[in-house]
Amino acid sequence: MGHSDRLPVAIVGAGLAGLTAATFLRRQGVPIILYEAGPQVAGLASSFHDADGFTYDFGAHFITNRLAAALGVGARCRTVTSYGERVWLKGRSYGYPLGLLSVPRFLRDGLASRLAPKPPPESAADWFRATYGTSLADEVAIPLVEAWSGAPASELAPSVGEKLANSVWKTIQLKLASRSSGRAVACGYSQEMPEAPEVWHVYPEGGLGLLCRRLAEGLDDAIRLNSPVDEILVDAGRVRAVRVKGREQPVSAVVSTAPCHVLAKLVRGSEALLPMARFRYRPMAFVNLRFEGRGILPDTVLWIPDRNAPFFRLTETPLSMPWLAPEGKTLVTADLGCEVGDERWRMSDEALGALVVDHLDLLFPRIRERYRGCRVLRTPIAYPMYLRAYEVDRRRFEQSSGVAGLVSIGRNGQFAHALMEDVYWRTLKSMRDLVATLNAPRADSRRAA
Amino acid sequence: MIPQSPTRTGAPCRDGCGTPLSLVPVRCCVCDADDAEPLAIGEDFEYRTSPDTFLAVRCRRCGLVYLNPRPDTRELDRIYPPDYHAFNFSEGEFGFVYKVRRRLEARRLLDCCAGLDAGARILDIGCGDGFHLDLLREFGMPGWRLEGVDSSARAAEAAARRGLTVHRSFVQDCPVPPDSVDLALMIATIEHVDDPPGVLGAVRRLLKPGGRVVIVTDNAASPDARLFQGRHWGGYHFPRHWNLFNASTLRALARKAALDVDSLGGITSPVNWVYSIRNRLVDADAPEWLIRRFSLSTPVSLGVFTILDSALRLIGKSGLLRAIFRKPAA
Repeated sequence: MGHSDRLPVAIVGAGLAGLTAATFLRRQGVPIILYEAGPQVAGLASSFHDADGFTYDFGAHFITNRLAAALGVGARCRTVTSYGERVWLKGRSYGYPLGLLSVPRFLRDGLASRLAPKPPPESAADWFRATYGTSLADEVAIPLVEAWSGAPASELAPSVGEKLANSVWKTIQLKLASRSSGRAVACGYSQEMPEAPEVWHVYPEGGLGLLCRRLAEGLDDAIRLNSPVDEILVDAGRVRAVRVKGREQPVSAVVSTAPCHVLAKLVRGSEALLPMARFRYRPMAFVNLRFEGRGILPDTVLWIPDRNAPFFRLTETPLSMPWLAPEGKTLVTADLGCEVGDERWRMSDEALGALVVDHLDLLFPRIRERYRGCRVLRTPIAYPMYLRAYEVDRRRFEQSSGVAGLVSIGRNGQFAHALMEDVYWRTLKSMRDLVATLNAPRADSRRAA
Repeated sequence: MIPQSPTRTGAPCRDGCGTPLSLVPVRCCVCDADDAEPLAIGEDFEYRTSPDTFLAVRCRRCGLVYLNPRPDTRELDRIYPPDYHAFNFSEGEFGFVYKVRRRLEARRLLDCCAGLDAGARILDIGCGDGFHLDLLREFGMPGWRLEGVDSSARAAEAAARRGLTVHRSFVQDCPVPPDSVDLALMIATIEHVDDPPGVLGAVRRLLKPGGRVVIVTDNAASPDARLFQGRHWGGYHFPRHWNLFNASTLRALARKAALDVDSLGGITSPVNWVYSIRNRLVDADAPEWLIRRFSLSTPVSLGVFTILDSALRLIGKSGLLRAIFRKPAA
């Protein structure tokens, strides 16, 4: 392709998105430098193992057989045989999403909402009520989205609901396929590529880091570890260079995986990204509790739309992936929303574990007797908060960063609650667009010559 | 409570094949784009030569279906095991089906050979065990010079055992003089090669001006391809079919190789129907007796789907495509 005489593209962050971008650009012959602030690749897409044989991820990550095949790691993945979500309501659990339809008031209000005229929703609360009906919205969807986002649903933009896709019929088809095949067919997981009975969840041997290690193969010469990008220098609305460890590196483009508010602060020479400094992410503490025995939860994920509970979601990953815990033991992850520096954020692991177990004991009596300690993973940027206050800016940012040659990718970079497979396909798309723009000036200059 | 059983890593595979294959990423060979959507995820349902899972993708620009990533060419001996059917399609193994196929194929081949001189030179590329050359020797003109080329030692040996002239090489390195071949055959070959435009370019060099190459390949736009699109379509033949064409991508391939399209149409084949069903059954761990009803040696299933595919051919949707490309005369 003849890019070797070009300035490199700087990629900021060596997680799944950054490595996907690097691999693709290199394949197109585009010179790259991949800067990673930390001492190793993988970012959020990594797993942690402890001496007792437990594996922890940042949240319950799955991938699909489709992503594994695309990366050529299918031979090293195990099939997830089942996966299900349930919702806990007044002492009972209901299958999600179809089981909720067995509650008469949910069904009645849901049908009524379909028939009622719908003014354009102004907030997430409006959107949920108009889409699911008042009772399901008020009792389930809104408490969950508020706990998840850390803001009242009336202050959240309607777009927060848009990712909850799949029709009832499609859901039934996928659930039936899952049951008949003994494979956890992806349902409500992938937005970028269609879901189908042939697409199911798998988990890499040894944890999620396998994906990034595969992508990083052959990139050794391009990866700079322990190298945070301090500044992105912009001239006349176009990226010119990055500054790393005090040194300026001229670049043809920058591909950033940094969270939006961080990216906004890195850019020098343009105010186009300033509105993004307001974008907020919901910090989370993932409390991973170890228990004797298995099958504490009725299914892999249990949603808790109860404002009095300290957590809004419980996940027993070994129900879907038995290899994540030693035989005869299990792991339950409780998701606790918090703010950086608040009481929960500062609590010791033991205290957080005790807080969760106290409440779990109310749901599952005598569970305390089986509790064997916990490990807490905290992240200040777990989920994007779709606040109405900056929705206009967010929508604009979805189209473009506002700076020529600056592309923001990845879960944090795109301010999207995208799961791993979507991150992969979206990144490829962004990179194809970038390569097209990198090639465009060459054509111009040839014409000029 | 959810049933729990630790599952194996990767796809089931035969003894001694537990190591993952070396896989390489590729782009569309027809239009050179690196912009494809995932179409199917599968595994080697038929020969179980590796624990890998494979992705078939469709080029967004031209529509070519191709395997990406695909096995490195160094893995050919592994993915074509000694019991691979093309190395040994014999009467002993396939009985009645062998006899019927011989008659059908002989007729089709002679159709393609219409107008050839008595001393014409015919080269079968990817000749396997020499099945088609053998037919030409038996039913064609006695003066025809028949040669085969196949990169596989096993295939070349099997063909040599029939007393045929076979070059064991890739067609690009084949010791046949340029501008000397009247008719080249690529029957169930183009989908197996790593670089179809490169191979056709090499074939073009060997053809006389005005010489023709006959390509028979799976139809990626057939009803069976659509019905079993996501995983089990026999045409994927994971991981041995690297590029799968429809009429439009075959035309584009001819353009790229600077060949003229003489004709392009469908021919009947029950094979992908039978293998699609077989793959579905294998994937569902169906009982062996049922799986055995769907194979290249089961006349009933082959017969039923021959009738179906013949009907589909009438509306231009048969299981195989046959293209005849011609090297321009001047």
